[in-house]
Amino acid sequence: MTQTRGGRPRASLPQHTEPARMTLREKLTRLRYNKVPDHLLGEILSKSWADNLVPFAFLLVVVAAFGLLLPGFFAPSSLLDTTRQLGEFLIVVLGLTVVIIGGGIDLSVGSIFALAAFATLAVIYIAEGPVWLALLAALGAGALFGALNGFLVGYLRLRAFLTTLVTLIIGRSLYDILITTWGARIQSSPVFNDTFDHIGMGAVWGQPISALIALAFALVAHLVMSRSRIGWHFTAVGGARRSAFNVGINVRRTIFLTYVISGAACGLAGFLFAARLSGVGPGTGLGLELAALTAAVVGGNSLGGGRGSIAKGLMGAVVVLLITNGLIRMGAGTGTSQLIVGLLLAAAIVLDVRWLKNRHKVLSEVYVAPLHHAMQPAQSALPGSGTAYALNDALASAEPIALGTVEGPEDVILDADDNLYAGTRHGQIVRWFAPDYTRSEVFAHIGGFPLGLAMGRDGEIVSCVGAMGLYGVAKDGDVRELSTETQRSLFSVVDDARLRDPNDCDIGPDGRIWFTDSTTRYDAHDWALDSIESRPTGRLLVHDPKTGRTRTVLKNLRYANGVCLSHDGQSLLIAESWACSVHRYWIAGPKEGRLETVIRDMPGYPDNINRASDGTYWMAWLGMRTPSFDMALRHPAMRKRMTRNLPQDDWLFPNINTGGVVKFDETGAIVATLGDLGGAAHPMVTSMREHKGWLYIGGILNNRIGRIRLPDADPEWTSWNSYWGDRA
Amino acid sequence: MSKLTKTLRHAILAGACLAGAVIGAQAQETNPGPEAYRSALEGKRVVMVPMTMGFDLAQGWNHFIGEEVKQFGGIWETRDPNWSVDAGAQAITDLISSGEKPDVLIVQTPDLNSYSRLFKRAQEAGIFVIQLDNPSNYASDVFAGSDWKRLGELETQAVIDHCGEGSSKKIAVIQGDQVNASSLDQWAGVQAVLERNPGWTVAGTADSNWDATTARNAAATILQQHPDVCGIVDFWDATAQGTASAIRDAGLKDKIFPATTGSGQCICDKHVEDGTFGAIVTSELPRQSQDVVAAIKILLQSGIKPGESKNYLYTHEIARTKKDVAPGTCWSQAEIEAAAKK
Repeated sequence: MTQTRGGRPRASLPQHTEPARMTLREKLTRLRYNKVPDHLLGEILSKSWADNLVPFAFLLVVVAAFGLLLPGFFAPSSLLDTTRQLGEFLIVVLGLTVVIIGGGIDLSVGSIFALAAFATLAVIYIAEGPVWLALLAALGAGALFGALNGFLVGYLRLRAFLTTLVTLIIGRSLYDILITTWGARIQSSPVFNDTFDHIGMGAVWGQPISALIALAFALVAHLVMSRSRIGWHFTAVGGARRSAFNVGINVRRTIFLTYVISGAACGLAGFLFAARLSGVGPGTGLGLELAALTAAVVGGNSLGGGRGSIAKGLMGAVVVLLITNGLIRMGAGTGTSQLIVGLLLAAAIVLDVRWLKNRHKVLSEVYVAPLHHAMQPAQSALPGSGTAYALNDALASAEPIALGTVEGPEDVILDADDNLYAGTRHGQIVRWFAPDYTRSEVFAHIGGFPLGLAMGRDGEIVSCVGAMGLYGVAKDGDVRELSTETQRSLFSVVDDARLRDPNDCDIGPDGRIWFTDSTTRYDAHDWALDSIESRPTGRLLVHDPKTGRTRTVLKNLRYANGVCLSHDGQSLLIAESWACSVHRYWIAGPKEGRLETVIRDMPGYPDNINRASDGTYWMAWLGMRTPSFDMALRHPAMRKRMTRNLPQDDWLFPNINTGGVVKFDETGAIVATLGDLGGAAHPMVTSMREHKGWLYIGGILNNRIGRIRLPDADPEWTSWNSYWGDRA
Repeated sequence: MSKLTKTLRHAILAGACLAGAVIGAQAQETNPGPEAYRSALEGKRVVMVPMTMGFDLAQGWNHFIGEEVKQFGGIWETRDPNWSVDAGAQAITDLISSGEKPDVLIVQTPDLNSYSRLFKRAQEAGIFVIQLDNPSNYASDVFAGSDWKRLGELETQAVIDHCGEGSSKKIAVIQGDQVNASSLDQWAGVQAVLERNPGWTVAGTADSNWDATTARNAAATILQQHPDVCGIVDFWDATAQGTASAIRDAGLKDKIFPATTGSGQCICDKHVEDGTFGAIVTSELPRQSQDVVAAIKILLQSGIKPGESKNYLYTHEIARTKKDVAPGTCWSQAEIEAAAKK
């Protein structure tokens, strides 16, 4: 289940053998919960395009319904004609969508459309001008009228609804005057313009020209809205106008531009309409604004602004066009079409409001998708039980450092001058000065939550910063970003190129940085939910500072946590927290690329792993296994019900109130343990670092760093020497 | 194959020919008409696309033409664009490109140009195109409607005749819109009569866009500006009712003579009787419908292709004033609808 690139042999995660006694019922439960991909539903719903699913489903229903009701609906010629009519309407809808996304509304689209159509025909049939001039006239008329709207709403800050209603009336009146004066002359003009006729009625590559133009427009609009700065400005202004202003966006100009775009779009649509019918009358464009508005809202664009997309506008336009066109073809009576479109608009608005309010609720109910795990029984860690894991009270007497002044020192590290560094939950790396560690300063401010630490050959501190990525802090406190993304896997719904939970890191002999990303399904602040789900989405990644590239080396770990380079530099020890296991991944030598399990079925959940001075390793336990949670792991349905029906305070979590430190050797045999049974100083431990005969203890939930004397340890041994000392 | 089989086949073939000849000979003795009629017309699809189904003319055509089409075994359908030119264009486009193309398309064109290309396409697709009521720039297989210029002349003449020499010699005109042939042609008729009668002028004119409320407002405004107008010509009876209301509201009911065009409905005759309308020039809708039906029957039997001929069927026009109204000469929309419900 692991992946390596470049032709290396695939290593697979050793499977834990199942206990012999699993009832048939449990086997079936295991099958249902582990094989059926429930998690996809939650992941799909949390995507930004999940909003499009409802209008898309509706579109499919409409297409299917009319395909059944209308004979020959899917015949190519019929579809061709349907798309020809779609073109003009689509362009108007997309222009209106841009305005709606920007937080406004444009009711004058019908009038602009009519004026542009008139301008086109006036150029062709009265002035006898060429087609390009007619197009310019139409676009110009549209953009000019849009600029009027934009000026009134954007710069003078009038209310969009009333203002565009007024410009609708003004535009309509202007158009009526023009038609009364020039209409007859246009209709009875003897001019024949073949290019013009071809644009209206002809086809290129089998598609009507107007449809091609509309699709090109849609594509450009989509790219602009989703991937260009001005598009983001539109969405920002529509979503939160004051915040956009505070960020420095020119709100007035942005709004002005949305109306100009809408006007120009109506201009283009008017041109195509004039080319198709070659005639205008008093009824041209009447009621277009209602149909376009319905299309925009039915597609899922929020009328409040800030939420919407070109794709939604496209779907809405197709739905409305299919319905009105279909009703005409079915011979529906006067007013039926408008009635149905009106009902559709009402339904769409209601749905839109409800979905907006309830989406988070639905998502939170559906997201957690627990798996079945049958954990092997563990040896006891109770003090006095006589097992290798038996804990004691050694940490209770640890010397506190920065007691009460530090918050959340997940990992600690020391430099050549014995200064102590730790990350805090404020997003900082704080330095305490040797030898007494009473004086401290903020060494660097990174943001996020700096977790695992490692030190490079040049003394640079490398840190896995939770919710951000891999960062490096130079000796002078200068912060630089090393990596915030890895390659994206092809079939993952979640965007796993992001590093959501970088946890621990270590530096290989060649300078490459190996680090873990604990889970791809939860953010750093939700990490506890991952324990309830227990889905193996943790990964091991490697970053090469020389090339700047990061790639994923191992996948499918249940909360990948600590990483430590072995003493001989040939392999990495990796902690898999919820599986209570420690694995070894070979990075050099004949077994390169292979993964083996070194310790399995521990009674505690491992966190960071670091080197010890005598050739062994220190491992932190962030929590202890409990029979109740182990049993809960065998009942995924119960965990699912728990997350849906109970408030979070009442959930059954792994016990992270107590933990400890464990020392083990290369074979995985347990050498020593350290604990704090009273829980006053170091109830749970996330990391420990040995340095010159002392062991420094960190804890992500702790308010201190602790250190204890290691009487048998080498008093000159430092981690930096161990990594870089002999290889100077 | 063997010689025997060959001989057998020849024999059977010969026998069949003989039998066919005998039967054919027998058939020739009976009248070929019904068979020819039936085979040419049965199953033919006729679709009507008026400007809207929701007004009296369309209901009348639907009844008079539709009845006959169904009677000869044809399929009768209608489409309802509800006054939208674009919806009508969509309907026609869909009919042309659908799997069940009509054999005859009857269209009431809303303006001079919008459907011209569609008619051409329809004819190329093998559909006969009959234009009803309003002419356009494109001459299709049949035009069945009124000579609107003549109607305009008759209306204006009626007003001049009624007002006489002693009046203000001013008339007002409520037109339809500037793109519809019926309106433009009537206006030409008005101008022609005024040319022949110097001294008579149009005091004020406005477009109603075929809406009665707009007509009423426009007429009221004109009457305020020119209260000495002696007659108003309104191009359509539906909007003329609005004009008549404006006259009534201005308190000038018997002083101003409204003239309009109609389709021969009984309700309009009533209006003439009670003085709401002064004169009404009708193109009789039932006769117009009969013209269309005859055209359909002939076109479908003739063997000519769509687009090969252009035919004009103008409807008989009758000018009626109070003196001319006679019972039994009109058709009633209410009766048609009641009959349809049964």
